[in-house]
Amino acid sequence: MFIMTEATADPARLKFLPGCEVLGDGTLDLRDKTQAAASPLAQRLFAMPEVAGVFLGKDFVIVTKGSGDWQHLKPAIFGAIMEHFRSGAPVVCAPTPSLPRGAEENGKAEAVDRVREALRQVIDPELGYNVVDLGLVYDVVVENGGTVRIIMTTTTPGCPATNYLKRGVGEAASAVPGVEFVDVTLTYEPRWAPEMMSPQAKAHFGITDGGSR
Amino acid sequence: MIGVSLSRWTMSYFAAALLALVAAEVMMTVGYGFPNAALQAPETLILVHIVAIGWLSLLMCGALFQFVPVLLNRPLYSNTLPLPTLLLLISGLAALVLGFLQLAGRIDPELPLFPAAGTLLGLGFALVLWNLARTFSAAPTLPLPARFVAVGLVSIAATAAFGIIFALVLGGATDYAPLVALTGTGLPLHVIAGLGGWLTFTAIGVSYRLLAMFMLAPELEGVSTRASLYLGTCALAVVIAGGTLAILLHGDSAFVLIAAAAIGLAALALYGRDVLYLYRARKRPRIELNSQMATFALASLAASAVLIVIFMVLGHLADHVDALVFLLAFGWLSGLGLSQLYKIVAFLTWIECYGPVLGKTRTPRVQDLVVETRARKWFLLYFIAIWLGTIALVTGYAPVFQLTAAAMLVATAGIVAQLVRTRRLVDIDVLPLPQGTHRPRLLVSLPR
Repeated sequence: MFIMTEATADPARLKFLPGCEVLGDGTLDLRDKTQAAASPLAQRLFAMPEVAGVFLGKDFVIVTKGSGDWQHLKPAIFGAIMEHFRSGAPVVCAPTPSLPRGAEENGKAEAVDRVREALRQVIDPELGYNVVDLGLVYDVVVENGGTVRIIMTTTTPGCPATNYLKRGVGEAASAVPGVEFVDVTLTYEPRWAPEMMSPQAKAHFGITDGGSR
Repeated sequence: MIGVSLSRWTMSYFAAALLALVAAEVMMTVGYGFPNAALQAPETLILVHIVAIGWLSLLMCGALFQFVPVLLNRPLYSNTLPLPTLLLLISGLAALVLGFLQLAGRIDPELPLFPAAGTLLGLGFALVLWNLARTFSAAPTLPLPARFVAVGLVSIAATAAFGIIFALVLGGATDYAPLVALTGTGLPLHVIAGLGGWLTFTAIGVSYRLLAMFMLAPELEGVSTRASLYLGTCALAVVIAGGTLAILLHGDSAFVLIAAAAIGLAALALYGRDVLYLYRARKRPRIELNSQMATFALASLAASAVLIVIFMVLGHLADHVDALVFLLAFGWLSGLGLSQLYKIVAFLTWIECYGPVLGKTRTPRVQDLVVETRARKWFLLYFIAIWLGTIALVTGYAPVFQLTAAAMLVATAGIVAQLVRTRRLVDIDVLPLPQGTHRPRLLVSLPR
């Protein structure tokens, strides 16, 4: 297995490309060991005390370091990723369908839906469509105590509207009843692409998968 | 750093630039300068510099102060410098125009107008370069479009250097033989470095990103884009360095120009291929007016390249250089500039007005600030006038050229009126402004 690395805009984050599929669909942002319970790969990475976060994408893993330098950390991360893929273990454990979700979990799922619905009033000014259906909102997590964590992107890095979009998303989420604190994180990994739009948004723009012509 | 702020003075640059464009079109309409005066007559030089510095360079500087941070995802080094820079460039242009009037015998010959123009414009462009170069140096990597802009910035340094040399020699400040030799035969180098390097190469770099952004097309980083960058850079190096050496060593600068033209045309061909790909691979089937009208500007660039080849083959390039420069300056550069201004003004106005209330209340789209059906006719009139004007210059019908210039003036006035309406939010006045927003000022952005 040959693992490549790519620098990111944030020096504390490094992208690892193992050359195979990591997560089939979507992304997963894991910020501590508790959240990593869902992913055997993330568990291996969090076993290193220097690792502060793991972001899983289609064919990459982004590791956020809390301390140490990459020169020393990289070999250990290479080892953990190789060991994981050789073991044949899944990247993410499949949910157990037979177990009904608890009331708390159901409540959180509903809260996520309410937040997503509220974010639909925030439009990308250039495209004139809401940020949720454009696929600019990568993840919404509702935690205990009314804390909402949102990971989002913009269509173009460096766009002058970026800070307004970030603030607007925060404002819209804050207005949802029961939300006490909102943390909005911007990311450009992965970069947004029109393919990330919802079917409704694609239909609105007349986008077909093969391009316009 | 994630997120880039609004450039406070970009609207002031755009306003000054549009004023210069209207002034130039008035001059052409009344027959001031070429073709009613010789190509190197003071009247023509006044007209040319009002277009090159007053219109195109101010437009480009204003756009770059806003757009280079977007290209690099880094804030502009200084948001304070653009105002003194603008004042230096405008006062330098005024001194230059007066210097040409002095050359024509209309002003007291004792006044040191050319040295003053050289100093003011030199300082102005030095500040542009300093501000943008510091912004570039803070970026960890340079995307391909930014590299085109970087080459464009080197070219403006060369263009300004030639211009300052000409100003010092013409103003009698020096009679140093090499500088006099450059002033005597270096005009093509000054024109190509300015029109080809600074304005065209920078516009190409910006267009790669803008077209991809507005049409949801893939960003190009492939072999043909790189080859276009390297070939174009090579062509400019041959013109600027090779041409200067040829003049100083009394060599054949015509050979240098032909070699550079061949390399430059290859670069343009690759750019054309990339642009066709961008339009074909776009995800947005219904493109907006700015991207539609940009096709006419790109067609003007392609037509210029084809005409250069035809006239070179026929041996009549020198006879038609006026028509080619006109088509490049007004069809390609001004056409692209006006079409993108239509979008950029709306976008920056939206951000300034509605950005602060995003997420708190419903907001309109950028497209709601403009009425494309009303603007379209002015753009069509503009491009038709440019193409007829080019034909008039090629065929030598000066009165017809004046008529087309009048049509350009009317079309430009129509486009400017649309820009003012957008800036003043006239076309969405049916909706009251939401609480917490303010109507943007016409000439300056005050982001909150």
